[in-house]
Amino acid sequence: MAPRSLNTDSAAQGQPATGSPAAVASLGSVAGVTVPLILVAVFLPELVGSFWLRAFTSSAIFALAAAGVALLYGRLGLVSLAQVALLGLGAWVTLRLSHGAGLPFELVLLGGGIAAGLVGLVVGLPALRMRGLYLALITLMAAGCFQVIVGGTGFPDGGPGFLGRVTSAGARLLMARPLIAQSDPAYFRYVVVVVAAGFLLVALHRRTRPGRAWALIRKSEACALSAGVNVTLYKTWAFTLAGFLAGIAGGLLAGSVGQLDGRNFPASDSILLFALTVVGGAYSWLGPAITGLLLRAFPSLLIAWGVDGNLAYIVFGAALLHALITAPAGVAGQLSDLVAGLRARFKRHNKEQDE
Amino acid sequence: MKKLSNHPMTRRQYSASTEVGLRKCLSWFVFIAMLSTLVIFVTACTSSSSTPADTAAEAPTEASESEAVQPTEATVSEVATEAPAEASADEAAAPTEEAAAAEPTEEAMAEKPTEEAAMSDALCGLGNGQEATGEPINVGAVVGATGPDDFSSAAKGAAAYFNCVNANGGINGRPINYIVEDDGWNPEQAAQVAAKLVNDDQVVAMVGNTSFVECAANAQLYEDENVIVISGVGVPRECFYSANIAPTNQGPRLSNLGMIQYAYETYGAKKITCMAPNVPGMAEWLCAGLAAWGADKGVTVETVFFDPATMDPTSLVLQAISSEPDAITVSTPAGVAIPIFKAAEEQDLREAYHWMGPTSLYDLDFPAAVGSYWDGHLDAQIEFVNTDSEGSDNQAWLKILDEYGTPDDPRDSFSQAGFLAAKIFVATVLELDPASLDRETVSEALRGVSNFKSDLVCGPWYFGADADLHNANHAGRIVQQVDGGWQTVTDCFEVEDPDLKPILDMEAAGGLVD
Amino acid sequence: MPNLSPFFVTGLAVGAIYALSGVGLVVLYRASGVLTVAYRAIGSAGALLAWPLAQDGLPQALAWLVAIGLATLLSLVYGRVLAPQLAYRDTVVKAVATLGFALILLGFARWYWSDDPRQLPLPTSTMGLSLFGVRVTVTRLIAFSLALLITIGVALFLNRTRLGLSMRALANNRDLSAMLGIRVLRVETWAWLISGVLAGVSGLMLSDLVRLDAIVLTFMVIPAMAAAVVGRLRSLAGTLIGGLLIGVLEAVATPFQAITPYRSVAPFVVAIIVILWLQRRRVITFTGDQ
Repeated sequence: MAPRSLNTDSAAQGQPATGSPAAVASLGSVAGVTVPLILVAVFLPELVGSFWLRAFTSSAIFALAAAGVALLYGRLGLVSLAQVALLGLGAWVTLRLSHGAGLPFELVLLGGGIAAGLVGLVVGLPALRMRGLYLALITLMAAGCFQVIVGGTGFPDGGPGFLGRVTSAGARLLMARPLIAQSDPAYFRYVVVVVAAGFLLVALHRRTRPGRAWALIRKSEACALSAGVNVTLYKTWAFTLAGFLAGIAGGLLAGSVGQLDGRNFPASDSILLFALTVVGGAYSWLGPAITGLLLRAFPSLLIAWGVDGNLAYIVFGAALLHALITAPAGVAGQLSDLVAGLRARFKRHNKEQDE
Repeated sequence: MKKLSNHPMTRRQYSASTEVGLRKCLSWFVFIAMLSTLVIFVTACTSSSSTPADTAAEAPTEASESEAVQPTEATVSEVATEAPAEASADEAAAPTEEAAAAEPTEEAMAEKPTEEAAMSDALCGLGNGQEATGEPINVGAVVGATGPDDFSSAAKGAAAYFNCVNANGGINGRPINYIVEDDGWNPEQAAQVAAKLVNDDQVVAMVGNTSFVECAANAQLYEDENVIVISGVGVPRECFYSANIAPTNQGPRLSNLGMIQYAYETYGAKKITCMAPNVPGMAEWLCAGLAAWGADKGVTVETVFFDPATMDPTSLVLQAISSEPDAITVSTPAGVAIPIFKAAEEQDLREAYHWMGPTSLYDLDFPAAVGSYWDGHLDAQIEFVNTDSEGSDNQAWLKILDEYGTPDDPRDSFSQAGFLAAKIFVATVLELDPASLDRETVSEALRGVSNFKSDLVCGPWYFGADADLHNANHAGRIVQQVDGGWQTVTDCFEVEDPDLKPILDMEAAGGLVD
Repeated sequence: MPNLSPFFVTGLAVGAIYALSGVGLVVLYRASGVLTVAYRAIGSAGALLAWPLAQDGLPQALAWLVAIGLATLLSLVYGRVLAPQLAYRDTVVKAVATLGFALILLGFARWYWSDDPRQLPLPTSTMGLSLFGVRVTVTRLIAFSLALLITIGVALFLNRTRLGLSMRALANNRDLSAMLGIRVLRVETWAWLISGVLAGVSGLMLSDLVRLDAIVLTFMVIPAMAAAVVGRLRSLAGTLIGGLLIGVLEAVATPFQAITPYRSVAPFVVAIIVILWLQRRRVITFTGDQ
């Protein structure tokens, strides 16, 4: 069908499949984003109960992780199926630093981010030689490695020191939260601020040199090479950034829950995160936000409605299939289409009235 | 010149893109509407045949229409031996009604309806047959239902008991609103649903918690918010070493230890292999306990930690026997243990080594699943009384499950644990003034529980607020697989874990048990 | 140095499982361009259906046929109804969409067939022979020989028959094949059908050799993908060898105390090494599908 193959061509060129650049810009205006964000951060904890507050905290955290995946897929066309593993790695490092070194939360968070960034770099090295399915598979295998290793070594379970193990009796330590954000509402605001900073970091990259380099690399690496762009550097930079974001998200998750389990970062969750990133939309900042909500707020809704956990799987799978089939540019793309269409109609209506 | 924006082509393009956008939005609306209808329909269907108080909806399996309805209510003593856990394959003959207690819900129970109903009345709550209509008391539970295993049977046992209580006067007129949440084996979700129960639903206590992850994730929350948890089944170490959590079961460490004590005394085992799934916080703690006990007696304990999702049980078995032990204890849930025993059967190892396990193997489907090869060669230690015991509390459990539970509820030791926890809670709370029942008073009362006797457990149960360790249940029995079922082989005997010393001293000092 | 030969034998048995699944994945990928994550879920759905039917008294053989039939039906449903809608998308997106299908099957299986501990017994599991100190049941021997036979059979099919040629053409370039007159829908339907049958058969074997649990079986697809990767998603012989290699490595790591909790990492490590080795001379200069 003609519209569909057109979509894939333009998607390969790094633009949103449908929707004009104007639509994207209208969504991306910084002012248009920060004001609602501030309102959400300030007022949401007052409006919802503990359950939903935690759901939205987790949504924000996974939105940050999804931003990394969206960066790689939307900007560079590279698939990384290891993001949840990197998130788990960041959480693991953060927990161990927190228990072992007793540093303040912010430093520990940075430590987790840097560790995950470095590992992300390593995971991204194969990207220099391959793309598409093979890259996806190799990152998936890396995620599988992580799943087995962390399942065996486990997260710290509240003991002191770097290993953080409690052998028998003893007070349990949870990960210490930041000094300024001990309570759940305060921690939610903290998370929103950090996530927003992460998104701004990505936006900054997009609008400066790395963003231009990525766009050119996506169009044609030969072109980029001949234009003097250091392809190796920018590709690994992208993976490092994605890993860094995942690590920060992991650290925030560790702070939110306080104690994590090694079996909750399986390779299949990385596939799910990628799938939902595609569903949410990988071409604008709104996509990862929607992904975060889909990953955590939507299941919470099903829990609140008392839907059996296994039925929730069915709902999730069906929604995933439907979204992938009907929305090549993701839900964010559909929304931007809608906005563009309505705007155009509004403009046309005004022009007709003027005449 | 016509303005470009008025040109028919551009106008059509604009409308085309809007049309496409609108059509896609419409497809989403239609999809969501269909899905919601389906979900609501399914949830309504499944919850109408399960107890309303249980929000973790169970689905009655209509697996096979041709399978005859198991008359689980026919004779109570047959219930346990005849694999009542196949209740999952039963048809939901009739949905349970929480209305009048005198109404039997299954036809097979019609033999002596009033007499049986009257008996069960006396066995729960005030026993007065009046439905409680006061202001509900919120009680919560966090169970790991969706995931590698389904641990919700403790909550189901507790739910049946609470239903019975609500039909019999409630807590001095106030019904119990039992809210069960699933944590999906994920600490993130466990923390989230616990926050809901504690902060949003304002539960006065948690009863029947059973989860691999929630004790660790939520212990601090319970301490901070002064919520007491009478767990159904605690598994990892945190469930026993947290200030506000006290399980009714023994835990895998004590259960395994009891098992190898028997092996040492009866089979003369001097070398034991401890096979455990590589779950940090459980495997090491568990096998270390065995090693600590063995150090005194000259018994060496080898460990085999493995990934529970392994595809290769034969290698595990080969590794376990490589150190030439006398006995091998398989400390895993039943589902993980079955392939291991199958692999051991393939290698024909039942004579060469003694095979055993903790209470997790005591599942009524287990003998059928591992087959008659293991008859007389498989032992397990059980934390509660055997499910077909004639003791009054045990019989009450079975009856109340029949009347106030659903046919799908497993009749296993987890269910016994949850039932006992609910019983303890109700007995304690009935002593309090119903008008001033809140979290403070309930927590204080639960902390003071002592000398609670029941034929479900070997010794009296107590909370033990002054100790770091909450492990009042520390004596058990041994059962052996015989003729496709389980046969009790010993009476209660104490488990001799060196780590129990502080609380044994506490017990000896008086006041907690008599 | 502990005695490794019994572990070698068990490793071959496990490796045959990986190889069998990997072959099914590769066949489907070659013919339809979809690397399906739902492969094992389809197989396990069939096996999960067979168990209650066999309990009910249905003759074993009939229960297996029903199981294989269900797996084939599910595969066809996805292949004819859902996969064509994604036909023009990125390969990875097509692969990831099958995850949605896998989740649906997984959720349904766990909801409908409750969680009782069970294992599907096959009559061939009672007979066996002794090899290097390990007893190997007939089921395992069957699994091993099936892996070999299926590999050879499918390879012959793809290389010698017209339908196989059409499948390979379709995998190579869908649009050109359509222009050349290859009946796309028909060939794809055959591919999904064959894949469904393979999934059903291997699902039955697995439920006896491993255990009948929906989650465990479904996510076994990731090590199966590792085996497929060793075969470069093209070569069936490579997949077979890869699967066996992975199984053996994983098993012989067992007696070494230090690494035994991590031995499940074998499939992933092997796959990573193989991919890196195969791609060592590539340099990408143009965008395109690889």
